[in-house]
Amino acid sequence: MSSTTAQSGLARARRGLAPGGSGGGHRIPNDGLNRKSKLSGQTKRTFFWLLLPSIVLLILINGYPLIYAGVQATHDGSLIDTGNFVGVDNFATVLSSAAFWKAAQFTLWFTIVGVFGSWLVGLGLALLLRTKIPAGGTFKVLLLLPWVVPIVVSSTAWNWLVATPDSLIPSIFRNLGLGTPLFLADPHLAAVMVMVFKVWVSFPFMMMMISAALASVDTTVYEAASMDGASKWQQFTQITLPMIARSTYISWILMTIFCVNDFPTIYLLTGGGPVDATTSLVVLAYRSVFQDFQTGPGVAIAFLMTVTLVVVSVFLYRQIRKSSVE
Amino acid sequence: MNVQSETSRHFSRRGFLGLTAAAAAVPLLAACGGGSASSSGSSGTIKFWDMPWGTPAYNDAAKKLVEGFSGANSKASYQIIQWNNFYQTFSSAIASKTGPAVSTGGGFQAFQFEQQGQIAYADKVIDALKKNGQFDDFLPGVLDPFKSDKGYVAVPWQLDMRPLWYRKSLFDKAGASVPTDWPSLLEAGKKLKSIGAVGFATGSGAGNNIGNHLMIMMMINNGGGVWTKDGQLDVMNDRNVEAVEFLLELVSNGVIDPAAVSYTTDNLDAQWKKDGKAAFGMYVLGLDKRVGDTSGDLLVASPMAGPHGDKATLVFPNNIMMYKNTPSQDASEAFLTYYMGQIKELWRQKLMNGLPVFKSITELPEFAGDPNNVKIVKEYQPIAKTFAAQGTSLNANLAVLDGGQALNQFTQTILTGKTDAKTALAAFQSGLQSVIKK
Repeated sequence: MSSTTAQSGLARARRGLAPGGSGGGHRIPNDGLNRKSKLSGQTKRTFFWLLLPSIVLLILINGYPLIYAGVQATHDGSLIDTGNFVGVDNFATVLSSAAFWKAAQFTLWFTIVGVFGSWLVGLGLALLLRTKIPAGGTFKVLLLLPWVVPIVVSSTAWNWLVATPDSLIPSIFRNLGLGTPLFLADPHLAAVMVMVFKVWVSFPFMMMMISAALASVDTTVYEAASMDGASKWQQFTQITLPMIARSTYISWILMTIFCVNDFPTIYLLTGGGPVDATTSLVVLAYRSVFQDFQTGPGVAIAFLMTVTLVVVSVFLYRQIRKSSVE
Repeated sequence: MNVQSETSRHFSRRGFLGLTAAAAAVPLLAACGGGSASSSGSSGTIKFWDMPWGTPAYNDAAKKLVEGFSGANSKASYQIIQWNNFYQTFSSAIASKTGPAVSTGGGFQAFQFEQQGQIAYADKVIDALKKNGQFDDFLPGVLDPFKSDKGYVAVPWQLDMRPLWYRKSLFDKAGASVPTDWPSLLEAGKKLKSIGAVGFATGSGAGNNIGNHLMIMMMINNGGGVWTKDGQLDVMNDRNVEAVEFLLELVSNGVIDPAAVSYTTDNLDAQWKKDGKAAFGMYVLGLDKRVGDTSGDLLVASPMAGPHGDKATLVFPNNIMMYKNTPSQDASEAFLTYYMGQIKELWRQKLMNGLPVFKSITELPEFAGDPNNVKIVKEYQPIAKTFAAQGTSLNANLAVLDGGQALNQFTQTILTGKTDAKTALAAFQSGLQSVIKK
């Protein structure tokens, strides 16, 4: 079969058309999404009043701290006393600090590895669990454990595994003649360790997201692609990935937010050390406010994080729209 | 695309952005949100907030003592405040006027809140203690650090001492003598290393301050310190440089565990257990009980002498403070005076990990029955210095030194050994300068 035929088959498969069909084949239902509905003025008013308590609550919960944080970021006070207005001095201090850029760099790597690492592991396992394997349900539950177990417990367990030269994993390395790596004492290894830990904690979330997306893919599209001569790899790249694109982008957005805002994973395992090697922006903000008692600069860091997250999220949201249109 | 779906799309995008912003604001909320503050205690009741200074049995006993108060037409209520985010908890409660009237807390907390005008001075309590005889019962020097120009900022009630401990069996096995000065520490450390033991155990991992305290202890053990006598920064003095050079020598000789930089308190405790590797090091009072080995193999060593003959260790005088926000200042003072008279019971019941501030408590059989305790009172308490060394007066900047990033980064730099003394101290000084209040 020519590649043109395969491509054509894949395109038809993605559209949900049966082999040889002319458009009258089974389509994935899309009820409600494009339905035109006109609400009466009365209904709109009812909706407004029903929504109002939630809107007010959201403003109180999110708006007040946000505004107060804005006040703190532009003042030189403490948690008790707002202090004097200093304009953008705190932002200037933060942006000219080497510690901020080092933490930003670590946060970037931590996020990239955390998002894509957990996505790749989650995707692999979701595809594996889709096949018929014995005790698949049990595996699914077991694979959820890293996500379900409280982070305090899992960080303690990981500490036991790697912290001292006599811990299990360094001992295995030593017995294999690979030396005794100090996984949390060496700055580079500690950074890698924290990222691996994050992937371990996060992959079940990705696995569930992708599993849910895969479950909605009609298996007949694969049959159609096979009949049109598409290889397994072609089916994966041109059917599976596009079909789960929307879930993928949503999971990337969520995991980006989880990674950038992640405090306990890092703080419980390394405390941001050694020598700031694993200090992320949120850890730096925490230390500034609660250890150095520099409220203004600490909150300024949090503000900068928020802005960055919104920009990244908007970009990824646009990708979702794009994938929806396609 | 129809008009309605276009509207929906815009609406959901705004909704989405709102949700994203809300999620992204989590660190802001975390940074700015207040901790839970109790509003328990009716008007006229003195609210006493206490930390978990020992096992839950400690808090139960302290609660009974507090609830036994009735003076100045008032009563007292008791609330435990967890160490986790305690400063945030106190700050938000004080800011919202729902804080305690009297509390224990962080070692330098009283000075931080004094700086913000929230502390009621304890001079009248001190006068009352003079009248009832307890003033003369204080161990020498424990009260002085709390006296400021305006009055007593707080009243000490226990001392968090940093003595040196050793495991006798490991020294016997290595054929080493217990160090009495720095050269003998290096010599013993090398012998201990040869049997796989650690000659100077410490740790600076997540949440572990022992390494930080060790750095300062070695400086003041050499007659140095972070501050001058009048409280100015003095990180780069020669004694500090000498102390840090010695610490780096210990690191390069493997006397300090190369993995110590990442050790949490759990990791360090494990090293001090019966089959652990720690042979010698600075730790807290009651280490033997902490690691469950009271066989007599874990002992307190005598203080080491520095190269110039100086002897000193580090102490944190934990204290009880009164706040201006109280239903009655007279009642606060009456309560604190009463409570200082009751704390002996906590040592009598063996619930305390700290050293008492009153001589009479050190003489209790329940305390003096432990030879390690006796040695600490006799040999360490008289030479103990605070974080304020070379000065003596405590102040708010010490809180920044104790828990701040500058000291932690300095300690971790030294423990990784990839620096020289002057570079590390210069970075430490610069880090401190950027955060201390002038």
